[in-house]
Amino acid sequence: MTPPDAGPSPLELFAWLSPAFPVGAFAYSHGLESAVDAGLVHDAATLEGWLGDLLGHGSARQDGVLAAEAWRLAAAPRPRHDLLGDLSDLALALAPGRERRLETGGTGRAFAEAIRASWPGAACPGLPAEGDVAYPVAFGAAAGTAGLALVPSLEALALAFVGNLVSAAVRLGPIGQTDGQRVTAALLPRARALGGWAAGSTLDDLGGCALRSDIAALQHETLYSRLFRS
Amino acid sequence: MTEAAPSPSPSNRARGALAAGFRRVGARTEVIGPHETGGYRLRLPRSRGETCEAVIVNTGGGMAGGDEAHFAFTAEAGAAVTLTTTAAEKVYRGQQADGRTAGTGVAVDLALAPGARLEWLPQETILFDGARLDRRLSVDMAGDSELLMAEILVFGRLAMGETMRAGRVSDRWRLRRDGRLAYAEDVAIAGDIAAVLDRPALGAGARASASLVMVSGRAEGLVAAARAALEPHSAVTAGVSAWNGLLVARAISPSPERLRAAIVALLSGLRGRALPRLWT
Repeated sequence: MTPPDAGPSPLELFAWLSPAFPVGAFAYSHGLESAVDAGLVHDAATLEGWLGDLLGHGSARQDGVLAAEAWRLAAAPRPRHDLLGDLSDLALALAPGRERRLETGGTGRAFAEAIRASWPGAACPGLPAEGDVAYPVAFGAAAGTAGLALVPSLEALALAFVGNLVSAAVRLGPIGQTDGQRVTAALLPRARALGGWAAGSTLDDLGGCALRSDIAALQHETLYSRLFRS
Repeated sequence: MTEAAPSPSPSNRARGALAAGFRRVGARTEVIGPHETGGYRLRLPRSRGETCEAVIVNTGGGMAGGDEAHFAFTAEAGAAVTLTTTAAEKVYRGQQADGRTAGTGVAVDLALAPGARLEWLPQETILFDGARLDRRLSVDMAGDSELLMAEILVFGRLAMGETMRAGRVSDRWRLRRDGRLAYAEDVAIAGDIAAVLDRPALGAGARASASLVMVSGRAEGLVAAARAALEPHSAVTAGVSAWNGLLVARAISPSPERLRAAIVALLSGLRGRALPRLWT
């Protein structure tokens, strides 16, 4: 029996969240570099624990809430493009330090520019044309404008967050490629759960407690030798 | 973002409010008001100098589940004020009422006119096991005013061997400069707080946390001094950053006493003078 047609797959997500999409995410470690330096992340188990905490209580969860809100503003029958600038300001203001501000603002701005230049069906007129845009807001606005379903968009965003930091960990040395893929596979159910939860969230659900991870991002500024910009 | 309307409250709920303005008169800053309701009073031990020192007193000696407090302070053009508290604030276990657990609510509204300087430096807040704290901190400041604020949260009465096994903390900071959001912080912890704080990326075993924000044209020049002030405090894990006229520090520690000592050193360094006497 042929399964019922669920409509076209959101293939755009594979392109936008691919490391080949020109946002420069590979240059940021989100504080992971200083966590590795401090010995907090040193093998597959500690990496999985660290990233799992960020999905459950940290920046990945926050990004899910912000992306969901951006998606709703852009995808509504009468889109609220006028509110996207304020949402991006909120997301930028939530950055705990200079480098995390640079990370979300720089990758978000690059994401919005790449969409505007090459993906006309996803270009959201509400995003600020000048200056930084927070990454989850740029992503959510594009997915909403393109008519992509919310839950898969948020699941993919969460998994891409994991994938990017696993890749950073492999480059930093505490784990190899195979362990990296094991960590990604192990965290996939949590990325999926986060996507489903975030789809029903509102801005009142913002809030986390990844205090050590945030401090690691601050401490990265004084790290002696650095591969990453955050 | 708008706050939810207050819900009908049980009869034992205590509501307190404290509001005051601060005005520059010649070389001094004078208080306007204060307006005091509930168990809150404002004391002015040093109101003759250039900077007015104002101390919040909670005559109720702590906050229970269902209690709410609202603080509103305005520094007018050119005024300088330091706000602190007489002692650490205690937040007791949330109370059962109508089948629900009533939490403790704190709202702080700070307004700074052009050229004003305001310091929000309450002593630490100690959360008892089972406490449910919902705090909203909102700052509206002119671009050329200066702000220094810090808050310390202690999770459980550690001196009595208490661990915070249940409860909830929601701490939402929103800081607007010339009407635009410049800094925001949202901390939310719920459930078995000690277990959450034991997670490596979360609290890494912390039982106390602190956040500090300075908004000033001088902020970015003070990063090195702030890091140096924290450096000797090896029992405290901390980081400092500065950007866009903000200086932010975050710190955690398994020891509330050591965290407090580190924050005293950091604040003294940033202010270039000692903290109000009540702190030390």
